[in-house]
Order: sequence, then C-alpha cells, then structure tokens
Amino acid sequence: MDDERLMATFVELADTLTDDFDLIEFLHLLADRCVELLDVDAAALLLADQHAELQLIATSNEQARLVELCQSQYDEGPGLEAFRTGARVSNADLAGAGVPWPRFASAALVAGFAAVDALPMRLRTEVIGTLKLFRSRAGELSADALRTGQALADVATIGLLQQRSIRYHEIVAEQLRRALHSRVVIEQAKCLVAERLGVDQAGAFAVLRGYARDHHRKLGDVAHAVVTGQTSANDLIGTPGPARNPGW
Amino acid sequence: MVSRRASRLAQVRLWVVEAAVASARPMSVQVLCETTVARLGVTGAVVTVDNAPGRSETRHATDPLGARLAELQVTVGEGPGVDARHDGGPVLVADLDTRHSQRRWPLFAPLAVEAGAAALFTLPLCVGAIRLGTLTLHRIEAGQLDGATLADALAFAGFALTLLLDQQAGIPLAGGDPADDGLPLRSAQVHQATGMVSAQLDIGISDAFARLRARAFADRLPLNEVAADVVARRLRFGSTNDAP
Repeated sequence: MDDERLMATFVELADTLTDDFDLIEFLHLLADRCVELLDVDAAALLLADQHAELQLIATSNEQARLVELCQSQYDEGPGLEAFRTGARVSNADLAGAGVPWPRFASAALVAGFAAVDALPMRLRTEVIGTLKLFRSRAGELSADALRTGQALADVATIGLLQQRSIRYHEIVAEQLRRALHSRVVIEQAKCLVAERLGVDQAGAFAVLRGYARDHHRKLGDVAHAVVTGQTSANDLIGTPGPARNPGW
Repeated sequence: MVSRRASRLAQVRLWVVEAAVASARPMSVQVLCETTVARLGVTGAVVTVDNAPGRSETRHATDPLGARLAELQVTVGEGPGVDARHDGGPVLVADLDTRHSQRRWPLFAPLAVEAGAAALFTLPLCVGAIRLGTLTLHRIEAGQLDGATLADALAFAGFALTLLLDQQAGIPLAGGDPADDGLPLRSAQVHQATGMVSAQLDIGISDAFARLRARAFADRLPLNEVAADVVARRLRFGSTNDAP
C-alpha cells in the first residue's frame, strides 16, 4: 500500500471535519477512498438508527445493485453480524459451500461480488454501524488492507460523533435522521437526473458528484437543488436546457 | 421478522386509532396531536404545515402555548422549527434558557422562555427534499426526552407524515399501505421512482410522490411494488398511459 497516499487520505478526511461538516459527503468520500486504497471494488457505509437497524448512508459508486444489496431487507448478512458481534466478519468466497447467509450471498453474486468483509464501526463498547468492502473476485483481503480498512472505519466513527459531546441517542437522532434525509434526496435526485439524461443510476450519481466538486458545493445541496428544480439536469452537464417550471 | 421500528409505528397507529374511535371522530392531525400529548407526557404538541417554501402555518396546536411558540417562530424568522425544516433533521432543545440556546436563537429563545416554555423538540415531517411540515412537542419543565420517548415521538412524527401525505395524494387518511412511513430507506426504490416520475411528468418532487402513492392506492398495490415497476421501466407515468 502506498503510505503517502494513505497519509494524504487521513489528512483529507481530518480536513473535512470542520464546523460546516456534511456527514453524507464525508462518508461518500470515505467509501471512495476505501476503493482506491484497499484493493476492493465497492464499499458501503451503514449506520444503526435508534431502533438498532442498519441504514445505508453512502456507497462508493451508487450502482443500483449495490444499493439494493446493502439495504436491510435481509435480516441476515455479514454487515448485521459485524454490527451485532462488534467483530470483523469476512467471507472470501460467496459462491462456496457453507456460506452462513445464503440469501445475501446469492444477491451479492448477482450484483457481481464474490467476496465481502464487514468491519464494525465501534465507539468504546458501542457499535454504531459497519463498513462493508466488496470484491468481484474470491480471495482473502490482505491483513494490511484490513488494518487500513479498520482505521478508515474508525475515522468514520469519529467523524460521526465529533460534532458535539451530547448524549449518544440524541446524536443518533439528529445526525442520522439528517443523513438519512440527505440520502433520500440523493436517491430522488439521482433518478431524476438518470431519467432526464438517459443514463443509469451510477452515471447520474457521477454527474451529481462531479458537479458538486467542480462547483465546491456539498453533494446534498446539489441534490436538493436538482430535486427542487433550482438546478436542471442539463445545468449539471454544462448544457443550457429549457428553464424549469418556476412554480416548484 | 417485524422490525422494532415497524412495531413502534404500529403501536403509535393503534393509539391514535383508539383515540379517534373513543371520541367518535375521524382520523385527523388533531387526534394525533392529542394522543401524542397523552402518551408521551409532554405539555403540548403542534403540527405545522409548509404551504410554500419558507411559509409555515399551524395546522393544530393542543394548547395556547404551542400556538404561541409556532407563531413566534414565524414572526421572528428563526427557531428550532425553522432549522428543522431547513436541514431535515430533528432539533431537540432540552433547555431553552441556556446560553447555547439563547445564542443559537437570540430572538426566539428569550421570547419562548418568557411565554412559559422550557423545552422544545421539533421533528421534521419530510421525505428527502419533500418538506411537509413539523411535529413539535413542548414542555414547561426543562429536560431531555429519554430514549424510549424519543423513539415514540419519532414514530408519532412518522404517522403524522403519513397523514399529511395521504391528504396530499387525495386518499383516505391512513388508508394506504401501512408499511409506508415515508422515512427509512427500507426501499430506496420508492425514492428513486419518485425522482423518475418527477422527470417523466415534469412536475415537482412532492407532486410526483403524491402521484405514486395515489397510483398504489388506486391499484391496491404496495407502494414498493409500484415503485419497483417504475424503476424497472415496466411502468411509466406519462400523459398517454397513466390515467389520473
């Protein structure tokens, strides 16, 4: 692993932990860096809500199948196990015999993933979520990558809880609800853009993200502007389009 | 497996239905507010609705203090409700009479304290970019909501959201899919389909969601299924094949 790249990532992540901190943007950045640094093909971050159910907050590429796979319609799977036990859960060959979560495994294979690792996001004794790493080829993830992955999961935990030292359930209620709503806005925006531009969801997400970066705006704000009609899909790709109905 | 969220929501629904039946009234935001107060032991509850961006109106307040707190925020243009509507997350203020609260809302906080309020908990009623309003609970004594009460308060907010959405979609209140509480990303497809319908019909996101819910209700199908059909492009909303 490239040490300098790794160091740069931690500096970059620490840099985003400002007053004006955007949880959902931060977690997307973290998911992206996992893919770049850890030799994995996709990463997803899930956080537990006040009902102790895992909710998907960020993925590395927003491919529709990955999003579906990470939603908690399965009451089984490595993410849930890592969350419940507080320990890493790995499966190096989802196509192999004896996978403990058959429904999750077959859905993962359909989505193009052959191996998975789920790392707990731990704060002291409490587990607040999981970082899931997917690979398209079977095989173990190196010990080095797992260590770095855990360090990134720890950074995510700190990011989530850094803002104020108020009571945990309130942090969960305020922060997580806000993040979940941002997540819903991104789903709404992604598909509105996909429909307008005739691209798939991952493509539409890349357009949203690229625009947010180029214009130094938060991903959630751009998604919101698109959904409320302040920014058109054509604006995102730099093509002037017809003005939208101002009554929105 | 029935999730804990689903069971909280079912419980809250049942409480409100019982209260409506006991007083021989139809389901309404008013009954919901009254039940919230009775079950959660707060001083009062208020539902506000957003008529236009930035324009909020009180739909029901269980007591004059609640009405006053809502009105104050409209007057001074700041407060927990304004913040909650803006960023879509709950704003929980255990004590309005602290330096932190007074600094955060220099106009609203002193006036709220003067009016007799001590704690204020605002839960936004929204689905992503669709902002319908807020459910606000207040107390005349300072203090946090404990974890279980907060979970119930969020469930009441989920149900209030459903009622407002039903009204918007023109379907009987709480008559739609009971699994649909709008909020969690149980099914991202619902939100994805909403975005697609918004583009297909060239209408706002809020109207698009109302159309989707109305369609599910009319076809007696779970919202999830209709959404899955839209996302898979088996169903398209358009002037040609979508009867209103």
